[in-house]
Amino acid sequence: MTLEAAKLAAANNLWGAILPELMLAGVALLLLALEILLPRRQHAVLADLAGAGILGTLLGLCFNWDSGMLGSETFGGLLYHSTSGQLLRAFFLIAAFLTCVIARLTLARQKMPRVEFYHLLLICTAAMMLLAQTNHLLMLFVTLETLTIALYVLVSYHRTSPASLEAGLKYVLMGALSSGLLLFGITLLYGVAGNPSLAGHAARPFHYADLAAFLTANPNHFLASLGIVLVLAGVAFKIGAFPFQIWVPDVYQGAPTPVTAFLAVASKAAGFAVLLGLCGPGALFSSYAWLTTPVLTAMAAASLLFGNLAALTQHNVKRLLGLSGVSHAGFLLLGVVAAGATPMALGAIYFYLFAYLLAAFAVFGVMAHVAGPDDADQELDHYAGLAKESPFLAGVLTVGLGSLAGIPPLAGFMGKLFIFLAAFQAGARAMLAVAIVGVVVSIYYYFGWIRAAYFETWTLPADAAAGPTRPARTPVGLLAGVTLGVLALASVVIGFYPGPLGHWLAMR
Amino acid sequence: MIPATLDGHLLVSGALFALGLLGVLLRRNTLVVFMCLELMLVASTVALVAFSRYNGILDGNVFVFFILTVAAAEVAVGLAIIVALFRRRQTVQVDELNSLRN
Repeated sequence: MTLEAAKLAAANNLWGAILPELMLAGVALLLLALEILLPRRQHAVLADLAGAGILGTLLGLCFNWDSGMLGSETFGGLLYHSTSGQLLRAFFLIAAFLTCVIARLTLARQKMPRVEFYHLLLICTAAMMLLAQTNHLLMLFVTLETLTIALYVLVSYHRTSPASLEAGLKYVLMGALSSGLLLFGITLLYGVAGNPSLAGHAARPFHYADLAAFLTANPNHFLASLGIVLVLAGVAFKIGAFPFQIWVPDVYQGAPTPVTAFLAVASKAAGFAVLLGLCGPGALFSSYAWLTTPVLTAMAAASLLFGNLAALTQHNVKRLLGLSGVSHAGFLLLGVVAAGATPMALGAIYFYLFAYLLAAFAVFGVMAHVAGPDDADQELDHYAGLAKESPFLAGVLTVGLGSLAGIPPLAGFMGKLFIFLAAFQAGARAMLAVAIVGVVVSIYYYFGWIRAAYFETWTLPADAAAGPTRPARTPVGLLAGVTLGVLALASVVIGFYPGPLGHWLAMR
Repeated sequence: MIPATLDGHLLVSGALFALGLLGVLLRRNTLVVFMCLELMLVASTVALVAFSRYNGILDGNVFVFFILTVAAAEVAVGLAIIVALFRRRQTVQVDELNSLRN
């Protein structure tokens, strides 16, 4: 490479474009340094620092929303900056902040070291933010692995608990399998696209635009379709869509509650960010819609049915949320399928993600208050009598679960409505029927949970000598109370006035 | 001696990938499963290097370095979890790791 070429490449490395990610990584490193420097009894301040770092990054991102680089590539085509990328960056930052709030409760209760948790959370968030802007298969692989490996550690973070470790091991095995499939798919695409004997072969086969041009020139190549199917399989693991959902219930149950929340919301959204980059309108695989549309439609239908039916029989609330998360992935997949035919589907997907974020974190926040020291042991029975003991928690739980179930007028209802409208416009009538059956089934188990909180009373087990088997509830602190209140309020307000948010999301 | 061709390399790569995938699905010992996962990654590196060589594009060779790094990180975390779990449960068989259930 000549000096001129090197200069040209360096000029394209606009570090300002990834300032939010750099800030997060800086705070993450600062946390580790301060852990060494500060005396042990002042370590509690590090949790505040992590939360403040995330909020500061979020504020900086909002004030600098139109960074002047939107619609352009940086770092030699590794990244592409767009409004939807900015939106997802904000989404991941909000999810990370809410995870911090929940983690303050549970980590203190389990006497776990704090600093590494926040360090990994920040690194993971930064990787997700880069993932949302990736424009290159190498970048896709590296960011996806960064966030996945950080999540391996986070899932098994409670290292004295066999449940957490077992969940971690299952997640490692499943995650590594999915990266193996994804990687082989990427390899096949690279090899086929670079083949000089094929028409329209690419000079940079990992680059999205070059690869898309090659795929358009060869719309029926067998190895390319095999590669695409393998890549989709790898991504389906991340979003927990059927038939790659087997890890979901076990990992959700065993992981510490804040990590489960982060997995359920941020990791799923990261998977959909990738999927939209691959299968969205005008994206990488759009010339292979003949292949991707049936595959995604089948996955959506199977996820909707399996997730909801399997959740019916669950007694553990974390498993229940995991399996209901599979059905939420089904709804979002329905949106991705519709996105090929109607432009409003994209806005609908983002609206659904934000509504899901608000509702899911409200529910996980309540779970963190109800659970005891054993994070894996969270049964539906533990919620009996919650409304009498803590009307606030029961209220937040009702709003959150109602929104997840899609009860009007909450935000989750509007999210489902927009997805249904998009599917209707795209002409996917059969899928619409499946989705509506899914909603009806989901109302049953979500309301079983609400009923436990309101209409059941807690009775001591028959052998009183064994003592009460239910963990004591944690009193609601100021920060957690305000956060939960805001989340529940936002779900209600956005449900009544979806206009501004929907308008803003659809504007892009 | 048979001259090396792209097809030959891809055959090896495909065989490694199939062996790894079958091993992950069929073997019950976590450590063996882990080795099979590594086999799947190695299959990709073989194919990437072969494609780079025969297509005359160097990107694939660079990708291999990233795969090696990622695989090392994955193994470090995975083995740490296996060791910690073995201390608690005295087993690394996939069938016996079933404490998480409804």
